[in-house]
Amino acid sequence: MSKTMAEKILARHTENGRADAGEIVQASVDFIMVHEVLGSRIIDILQEMETDSVWDPNRIMVVNDHWAPAPNIQSAIIHQRNREFVKRHGIKYFCDVNCGVSHQVLIEWGLAKPGDLIIGSDSHTTSYGAMNAFSTGLAATDSAIVLATGKNWFKVPESMRINIDGELAEMVMSKDLILKIIADLGPDGANYKAIEFHGPVVDKMTVASRATMCNMSVEAGAKAGLMTVNKQVEDWLSLRAREAHWTRVDPDPTAEYVEMITYDLDTDPVEPMIATPHSPANGRPVTEVDVEIDQAFLGSCTNGRFEDLQIAAMIMKGHKVKEGVRFIITPASMETYKAALNMGFIETFIQAGAIVTNPTCGACVGGHLGILGPNEVAITSTNRNFRGRMGHPDSRIYLSSPATVAASAIMGRITDPRGF
Amino acid sequence: MRAFSEIITGRAWVLGDNIDTDQIIQGQHLNLLDYEEMAKHALEIPRPEFAQNVKENDIIIAGRNFGGGSSREEAPMILTILGVGCIAAESFARIFYRNAINVGLPVIEIKNATERIVDGQQLTVFLKDGQVKITDTGELIKFMPIPAFMMDILRAGGAIQYYKNHRVN
Repeated sequence: MSKTMAEKILARHTENGRADAGEIVQASVDFIMVHEVLGSRIIDILQEMETDSVWDPNRIMVVNDHWAPAPNIQSAIIHQRNREFVKRHGIKYFCDVNCGVSHQVLIEWGLAKPGDLIIGSDSHTTSYGAMNAFSTGLAATDSAIVLATGKNWFKVPESMRINIDGELAEMVMSKDLILKIIADLGPDGANYKAIEFHGPVVDKMTVASRATMCNMSVEAGAKAGLMTVNKQVEDWLSLRAREAHWTRVDPDPTAEYVEMITYDLDTDPVEPMIATPHSPANGRPVTEVDVEIDQAFLGSCTNGRFEDLQIAAMIMKGHKVKEGVRFIITPASMETYKAALNMGFIETFIQAGAIVTNPTCGACVGGHLGILGPNEVAITSTNRNFRGRMGHPDSRIYLSSPATVAASAIMGRITDPRGF
Repeated sequence: MRAFSEIITGRAWVLGDNIDTDQIIQGQHLNLLDYEEMAKHALEIPRPEFAQNVKENDIIIAGRNFGGGSSREEAPMILTILGVGCIAAESFARIFYRNAINVGLPVIEIKNATERIVDGQQLTVFLKDGQVKITDTGELIKFMPIPAFMMDILRAGGAIQYYKNHRVN
């Protein structure tokens, strides 16, 4: 029988080698990432489970990224607990507060490989579909069970297939494309399903651009966002996972999909998009939105990577941040930060009047380094504009690409980046 | 963990569509280690009076895509801590659904739930039979019973206890 990518990858991880859409299977995972939820919740759950050992310290990554470095005592305690856990269990991969955002760092360290089944204690774990892995978010209890046993149950999802033909126009980024797709699907349009992205547009994309799309698949409710291996993924892995063995996973040509959607960007181009408050599914062309802003934010696991900082620096060069606007830039990892530093982007940002912070989830999760006050308006390259996500419940968040964030920071209002 | 009951009687709290995880519990409260403290902020944005006034076994009624967004297990956990007996929604986001079962909170899907049930109405949910009875009117609303595997987790009192009961060693 013909199989989707989700079925094929999950089938590689079940005892009998089978995984058909709709059935519940026990699967062995390849890797798990846990962040602050380890210190805040999972350690207590492991105690309740009466388990004092982890399944495999070489397949676990612990990250202190959400409140990094700690802005208050509670966060500091959570970080301490994570550090103690790493030491006590000999966890091989540890990303402390000076390192970066989990989903970026895990990919940088070459830990997401084609065909893998990867779990993270974070909903944006769908990111690793960019590397042809099946990856999905689970929460504290399920993560504790994986840490203890290396296994968990999964309902094998049905899949939808999205083909994207043509080419992205100048100043239009993969973020614009995924905002358009989520607007078309709705906030629950892919609930419980896996989305496969195919076609020349994603085949040509960098790892970073692909990760943005798989990352945000969860904003349409998807359990996973999946892409096949392209040249950029091969190059990435030959550099960063030299020792690793992996086999690419492609869907069967006659695999069954619950839905097939095609975008032809040549006949129907995607424009720079804005998702208006309070849903990531409220995407519409930037040309239809004219709103003054108090804050612009560039960062997060969705769009805080090198190419995101690069396009923003290109736009900012020779410009100033509009008076009265705060432009906060948070590189997604220390590696990204250093690369941006070497290229002179950081200097460009600072000269323009922006604030550059250390890598952290920070403002995106309403944690620190950019909380919004009452009635404030922000444009941001992050993934969620839920009411109150970045601070006060009466603040308003608009989601866009890094290019649109930078153009808007200069103009002090939501601005089409195609003029820059 | 509370004892699990297959018959739940309580008042309805009717909410809308797309009650995301930040509406249930904002990210800024997630570093509170004490669940009781965190629970004071439950549903703070859509229903500021909720945490104060909710009673044991009250039932949340919602529209589409309840619990979308973050994977935070704190969302269903604080609702159970406040005594919520069951959530009936038109549909649930997948991680929330799974988390609710894991913490022992029954979640059921009812079409047009928010149109059929009025805020404050007294309800009884019969999980095994797949029926909700509205006390005032006597009206019965049917729903698809919770799948057997999930019911086993609920009966055990949540995923941790289920794990301990089924541990191989």
